[in-house]
Amino acid sequence: MLKKFELQTGYNEVINITDQVKEAVQESGVKSGLCLVFNPHTTASMTVTSFWDPMGFEDLQDEICRLIPTKVDFKHQHDTPQDAAGHVKSSLMGVELCFIVEDGKLLLGGSQGIFFLEFDGPRKRKYYVKVIEG
Amino acid sequence: MNTTYDCAMRRQVMSLPQLLNEQYADLEPKIRTVLSFQEIYSCQRIILTGCGDSWAAAMAMKPAFEQLTGLKTEAIPALELSRFTPEKLLKGSAYSPLVIVVSNSGGAARLAEAVLRCNRYGAFTLAITGKPESPLGIHAKRILPLEVPRFESAPGTRSYMVALLALFLLAIRMGEVRARYTMDAAGAYRRELKGLGQKLESSLPQMDEAVRQIAASWKDFPAFDYIGAGSDYATAWYGHAKMLEATGRYAMHINSEEWFHLNCFIKEIEQLGTIVVAHTENAGLSRTKEMLAAAVRMGRKLMVVTDGTAEELGIEAPCIQVPKTDSPYAAPLMLFVPLCLLAADLMAMLGEKQCRGQEGPWEFCKGAAGLKNSEIIVV
Repeated sequence: MLKKFELQTGYNEVINITDQVKEAVQESGVKSGLCLVFNPHTTASMTVTSFWDPMGFEDLQDEICRLIPTKVDFKHQHDTPQDAAGHVKSSLMGVELCFIVEDGKLLLGGSQGIFFLEFDGPRKRKYYVKVIEG
Repeated sequence: MNTTYDCAMRRQVMSLPQLLNEQYADLEPKIRTVLSFQEIYSCQRIILTGCGDSWAAAMAMKPAFEQLTGLKTEAIPALELSRFTPEKLLKGSAYSPLVIVVSNSGGAARLAEAVLRCNRYGAFTLAITGKPESPLGIHAKRILPLEVPRFESAPGTRSYMVALLALFLLAIRMGEVRARYTMDAAGAYRRELKGLGQKLESSLPQMDEAVRQIAASWKDFPAFDYIGAGSDYATAWYGHAKMLEATGRYAMHINSEEWFHLNCFIKEIEQLGTIVVAHTENAGLSRTKEMLAAAVRMGRKLMVVTDGTAEELGIEAPCIQVPKTDSPYAAPLMLFVPLCLLAADLMAMLGEKQCRGQEGPWEFCKGAAGLKNSEIIVV
């Protein structure tokens, strides 16, 4: 089963998509298998992090920006400096996540949430969830 | 489509929709690379300059640069920039001020002089020109090459549209890179420009017919008064220039405020064509509407160029409606068209030669010699 979700992001927003992914797993009816979450963008990423404190999302983006600052001497100048930095961030962070499905549920830790990371924005974005039995 | 009268200028107007499409495709990728991120971020001030049509284009696109880039932007005529602008205003950091000069021919001596002077004091000069080998192209620190396909010679119509388009695309690009808005928002500005050719094509026949009727009744008028506010004034300025070039008849330009101080006192109004540019999102529209109401009461012969209607403007006068644009900064690309048609129709009806054929008393203008052959003095 493949399910597509659409998002409207804000600037450098971190969006919790855990509930949507869980729903997709439930809808699939798969009891044991794998769940792939994938975004088809080059300036956005996916990650798993703690959902308890929203300030942690800002820390995450702040530290990503510290490691890959938006600067004006990127060689990729077709779009904007933020876009060029976004490409690097997205490549390093990755655009897909894989989870174990057991007893028809995602095998996530108690503090773990699934998040869509925007490295540009505001943008219209999408991501896919594929659940495979096995 | 009106075929009763024809001339090269009319044919230039009719070629604009296709040209707009072609030029967008040519310019958009070039403008992405003409200035680097570093250069765009280093810029703290912008000076737009020009003479003739390029001066009108500079005035028309000043609001786009100001609003989209967020940078202080001045439009300074070439002679002012060459001889009168204080040196301290031309000094800055590595890529600032950015001096943008548009000239398809690149041959005007005053523009080359302005670029030489700006270079001397450290400004960063960008020439938008179809002739990189021209004096302007040679002296500018950076060139954005234009490739406007050759056409029958006529008072500049195609080149003006390309100048507006190039400037607007550059403003969009600078604002985008400076993160003044998102790439999606920049994309929306660009998509609108990409579709403008089609919009213009579908409204040209209606504009053409409406302007032809006015031109027929104004054929013997000896003088014309062009009025507008802000970027509409720039369009009015351009319109007066076309009337002079096309017909040689007296033409004036004035903004909607100054009209009440000066041009409202012109006599023999039954023989005076009054052309008003009134974009519905223009910040000076209320004053232009007051001007229009006064002109109607006076019995002035009016032609109003607008994206609205006579009802919206609160007047009873012939309105030539141009397509509405999503962005007000794109409006000058539409509003100038009826002004070209008016000049072109009168030119055709009167059998006038462009710039008097550059014969007799006008022989000194041959080959644009009046613009090219001028002593260059860098002060």
